[in-house]
Order: sequence, then C-alpha cells, then structure tokens
Amino acid sequence: MGRVFRNEFRLMLHDAGVLLFFVALPLLYPIVYTLIYNPEVLRKLPVAVVDDSRTAQSRELVRRASASPSLEIYAYCADMPEAKRLMAEKKVFGVMQIPYDYAEKLGNGEVAHVSFYSDMSLLLRYRTFVAALTDLQIDVIQDITGEKISALGLESLAGDMKAPIASEAQMLGDTEQGFASFVIPGIVILILQQSMLLGICLLGGTSRERRSRNGGIDPQEVNAPVTATVWGRALAYTVFYFPMTIYILRFIPEIFNLPHYGNPVDYLLFILPMLLATAFLGQALNYFMKERESCFIFIVFSSVLFLFLSGLTWPRYAMSDLWVWIGNCIPAVWGVEGFIRINSNSATLPEVGTAFTAMWILALVYMLLAQWVTKYIRISNYGRNKELS
Amino acid sequence: MGSRKMYIFGMLVVPVFMAFFFLDLLSPGLPNRVPTAVVDLDHSTMSRTVTRSLEALQVLDLSERCESYDQALERVRQGKIFGFFVIPADFEKNALSGNEPTLEYYSNMTYFVPGTLAFKGFKTVAVATSGGVVQQTLVSLGATPGQVAALVQPLSLDVYGLNNPWMSYSIYLCPSFTMATFVLMIMLMTVFSITIEIKEGTSPQWLATSHGSILVAVASKLLPQTVIFAAVGIFIQWLFFGLSHFPLNGSLGWMIVATLLTVVASQGVGLFVSSVVPNPRLAFSLTALFGILSFSFTGFSFPVESMYGWLGIFSYLAPIRYWFLIYINEALNGVGLYYSRYYFVALIVLPLVACTLLRRLRSACLKPVYVP
Repeated sequence: MGRVFRNEFRLMLHDAGVLLFFVALPLLYPIVYTLIYNPEVLRKLPVAVVDDSRTAQSRELVRRASASPSLEIYAYCADMPEAKRLMAEKKVFGVMQIPYDYAEKLGNGEVAHVSFYSDMSLLLRYRTFVAALTDLQIDVIQDITGEKISALGLESLAGDMKAPIASEAQMLGDTEQGFASFVIPGIVILILQQSMLLGICLLGGTSRERRSRNGGIDPQEVNAPVTATVWGRALAYTVFYFPMTIYILRFIPEIFNLPHYGNPVDYLLFILPMLLATAFLGQALNYFMKERESCFIFIVFSSVLFLFLSGLTWPRYAMSDLWVWIGNCIPAVWGVEGFIRINSNSATLPEVGTAFTAMWILALVYMLLAQWVTKYIRISNYGRNKELS
Repeated sequence: MGSRKMYIFGMLVVPVFMAFFFLDLLSPGLPNRVPTAVVDLDHSTMSRTVTRSLEALQVLDLSERCESYDQALERVRQGKIFGFFVIPADFEKNALSGNEPTLEYYSNMTYFVPGTLAFKGFKTVAVATSGGVVQQTLVSLGATPGQVAALVQPLSLDVYGLNNPWMSYSIYLCPSFTMATFVLMIMLMTVFSITIEIKEGTSPQWLATSHGSILVAVASKLLPQTVIFAAVGIFIQWLFFGLSHFPLNGSLGWMIVATLLTVVASQGVGLFVSSVVPNPRLAFSLTALFGILSFSFTGFSFPVESMYGWLGIFSYLAPIRYWFLIYINEALNGVGLYYSRYYFVALIVLPLVACTLLRRLRSACLKPVYVP
C-alpha cells in the first residue's frame, strides 16, 4: 500500500493536467467565484416613476423611495407605455405607478394604493424591490398614521397606535443576506469534490490508454493487490487534498469576510469522510474513463447537477424522493449541508451527525465499488488484449 | 467504440437529461411548506391564536414545537427547521395592558429561498397580530371600521411580478440553466471532435480528405453535429413552451432562431478555443472553465451590472448570455424583436470571429503535436 501511495503521488506530480485540477482549480476557483458574487447585495436598482397624482404627497413618496439604498429613480415618465419602453431597453427594472387619487384618498382617510411592477428576469431583483418597498411602506405609514390621529382628534390613542405589539426579525447565519455569503460556503465544497473527481478520472483515463497500448498492462502501475491499490490511491488523494481543504474552508471565508463561525476542528474532521468517499467514488467512476479526455465529458456537467441536488438553490425538503435519493449518493451533497451549518450557523460536529455518518457509509460503499472496478479494469483489458494478439 | 458512446452521451443524453432534471426538480414552482417551529413561552389564548395563524399559512410547515430559544436554535443547526417564531412569556398580559411585548422571528438565511419564505410567513403573522390588537382597541374606543382600516394601513404598496406573478422558480431557472448546460456540452463536444484528430495524429488525413481546405474539413465535421444539436435545441424549446407552458409572450419562431444561432455560436467558441490552443487538455480545460463559470458571470442569479465591471466583460463572450437576454425579451416579456437586435447580431458575429483563426488550426493540424 505504501508503494501504491508513493507511486500515485509521483503520477500526480508529473501530470500537468492533474496538477491543474488538484492545485490550480481549488486554489483559483473559490477566488473567482467570490469575486463574481462579492458585491453581495443589489444597490441602486433603477426605477421609473409614473406619477399621475402630481401632488406634494406623491412627490414626498418618491423622495423617500429614492432615499432607499436599494433604489434609484432613473426617470419620471409621462405614462405607462413610456415606462414600459424603458423597461424593455433594460434601463429600469421596476416601475412605480402612483394613481391620480393618491393624495385624495390619503386625505379622506381611505386606503391609497400604489402599484409597483417588477421585472422578473432575476428573482434577486424582485426580492430586493419587495424588501425596499416594504420598508418604505412601513416608514410612510408611521408618519401618516401619526398625522391622522391628531386630525381625527384621537390623540389619546397615540400611545396605543404606536404598535401595541412590537416585532423583530432576526437573520441567522448570513445576517446581511449577502449573495456571496450565501452561495460560496456551498460552492467551495462542490469545488473540492469536483476537482478531485476530475483529477482522479484524468489519472484513470490516462492509465487506461497506457493499458490499451501495452497489452492490458499499465507499466506505470505498482503490482499490488486490489485492496492495497484502491486504499493507497485514496489515501494519496486525501493527503494531497488536506492543504487545499484548509485553504478553502479556513481561509477563503476569512479573506472575503464571509460568515465563518464554525470551529475548524469540527469542519475539518467533518470533511474527512467526504474527501475519502470522493477519492473512492473517483476510482469507481474510472469504469467509464476509457480515454484521458473522458473526464471532461462525464464530470464537468455533473457540477451543475450536484449543485442543485445539494439543495443550495432549491431546498431538499421540496424535492421528490427520487432526487433526494440520488442526492444522498453524492458525498458533496452531505458535505455542503454539513459545512454550511458548521460554518455559517456554528453547528457542532454532533449536530451534523447525520451528514457525517452518511458520508462514512458512502465512503464504504464506494470503496467496495472502487475495488470491483479496479479488478474489472485489470482483468477485462488483459483478457481482451490477449484475445486480439 | 468508446468515442461513439461519448458522442451520444455528450450530444444527446446529457442535454436531454438535464432538461428533464430541471423541469422535474423545480416543477412545484415555489418550495412552500418550509419546515419551521414555534416557541410558545406564553401558553395563553392569544399565543395559541398566533400559533394557529402560523399553521394556516401555506408557505410554512410548522412541523415542530420547541420549549426554548436554545432548543429551536439547535434544530436550526441540525437542519431540521429553517426558522422559528418566538412568543415571549406574559405575551397576552403585556399586549392587553399596553406594555408592548415583542414577537421575535428567526430566519436561517444560509439557505436563501427557504429562509426568505420563512421570513415572509413570519412577518405576515407578526404584522397581522399587531394590527389585530390595534383594531380591537380602536373599535372598543368607538372608531368606525373604515377609519380603523385607514389608520392601520393607510397606504398599500402592491408589488407585481411581471409575467411571472407566481414567482415560479421553474420559469425563472429552468430555461437559463438547461440552456447553459446545453451550451457547455456543445462547446466541449466541439473541442473533443476537433482535438481528437490532433491527439491521434489523424489530422493530416482529415485535412487531406478535404483537399487541404480547413474550412471544408471543419464544416464537414461540425455541420452534422449542428444538425443533431439543433434538433436537441428545438426539442428543449418544446419542453419549455409546449410541455411546460412557460410564458411565451413573443414569437416562438424567433426563440427557435435564437436557439439555432446559439448552437452555432457555441460551436464557434469551441472551434475558437481549439484553434487558439490546439492541445486537447488545455482546450478542454479552458472550455470547461469558461463554460462552468458562465453559469455565474452571465448573471442568471446575480445581475451582471452589479458585478465588478471587468467581470461583466466575460459575459459578452458567452453565447448563453445572448440566448438568455433574447429569452427574457422575446418569451418572458414579449417586448418585440427590436430590443433584441444586438443580441442576434452578437450570436452571428461570434462564430465568424472563430473562423478568423482557422489558418492557425490548419497549421496545427498539419503538424499534430500531442502534449498529454
């Protein structure tokens, strides 16, 4: 096993392609991703205003809207068609329409309705609009109500009106609701798994090519029993990944000031079975890697699949059983869930025990599968080439 | 043999499978029934009313009752719930005596979508509870119901989501992610089919069968693939607009044209990369890097204009960006072809740019060097 371990290290270090996957990819991808999402929140979303009321009250409403950091009044439009044109040109992403009877209704003590039309190409914009407008509404209501109470001569009520029940919203984990803070802790785990799979499959495909050139025998392979081979390789990959893992899990969140509340001992111990399971899974996938380039066709697209199966975008409780079970077979799906909880919600290792156990079970299953595949590759290639010659 | 399986897998299986995957996964539209908890420290009539209001919400699944804040927080850390609502001790007493008790609600924002939905549900109930007490007080003091309504909420700011009033995640995510995966596979398969000639040293023969013309060689290799990809692309459009009834407020014809142009443009990008670095590993690595990152920098989830300026530049090199913008204009918003004119032009220009490097590819093909 020691010989396999050393040999695999030698193969990794002498293959520029593998180094690209094992070193450059985990080193650079987290930085690139974080830079893409680093602005975190949307600010100054351009909005058009159609003010049919044209009163002091309506202008006051617009003035307050423009004070919101999320909104920017891009233009005043004479009518809705003009505003829609601006929207079609993507100059604005929302239109606020104040009806002609706005001030009148406010004055008469009726409920005034203001409509806001949001572009729906990106839900993040819609979400930002809703949050900003809810704040605006509360803000305006407080003032109007105060004025009205005095107007109605109900001053004695002012005390009761000032919210008899207060409410307070608290955000857990990603307290600023930033996009990078939300998405990066999950993505980095996927990067760990996918870069390792790509590297292992590249090594596997290359070895298969050598085999088919050399009568079913890979001259670069150490002659060792199947179990020792599979374990030696898995340990080589896992050990190699340790510095990368510390860099990705420990330093990336700190460098970019993303949430990092977890205890390093917890998340490093937690991720160990994921690395092992991935190291075995990669060897099992070598069944499909007949050429050096196969990994690009087979592995790259799966990053998108696994991202969704992990529940980062669409929560797992809302998935059908089929997708939940396929997700259960992917080490990173558990890894994403557990790491996010430890990193962003400061969970402890026992609190993510289910994910931890699941990844050990996967490691065991994929180890057995990897052994079978390794045996199969040795026998089938040898047999076929003997037939040919 | 191995290669042929790879073509079928990359050109047909992956794009079609991923289309079905996204459509099926996101088919509920919104992930309602967010697992949440209530921490009732009051155990009064009023607190039970609040709990019932929370239970009645479609967006929440009030699956747990916790005894304390700490217990609820532990359930969040375990991933069992995505938020919880705390009713403080002596809530009813304080509310009725005007001592202003505070309802607190916690939403776990480490998962954006369920966190936001939980927040929305909690907020609705908190506001309604507060408003209900005010109404009661005002009515008991002799205000008319009309006055009460205008006092409690004199202004209603209604936000309408244009062309996706259901906030459906399926309509929002399926088209962009399915097509981006499709484009990724087109680029990879193009790189694969060109660089394999160089890898196996068969590229001089490949050129020879085209009488030395690289244009003929490339065209005869890629055009059959164009036909297959085009069929897959049109099938995917049918899945969106036919099977799933996604909004199609503009013309289906232009969506199909856009899809066909996107297929060719993606082949163009693959060809371009293969010409710049006629080495399978580097060409694949660059294409995969670009293709996977394009899911992010083309702004399906975080808008390009909010990114750092220099990152936005990359989005203009990705064919999927133009397909996405045309989809928004033509299918989702139906604003007319005029507004998409530049996107169509860009999709036509991309493959033409790729052709300018054909000469470079030709010399690489004449002296194939395979660097593993």
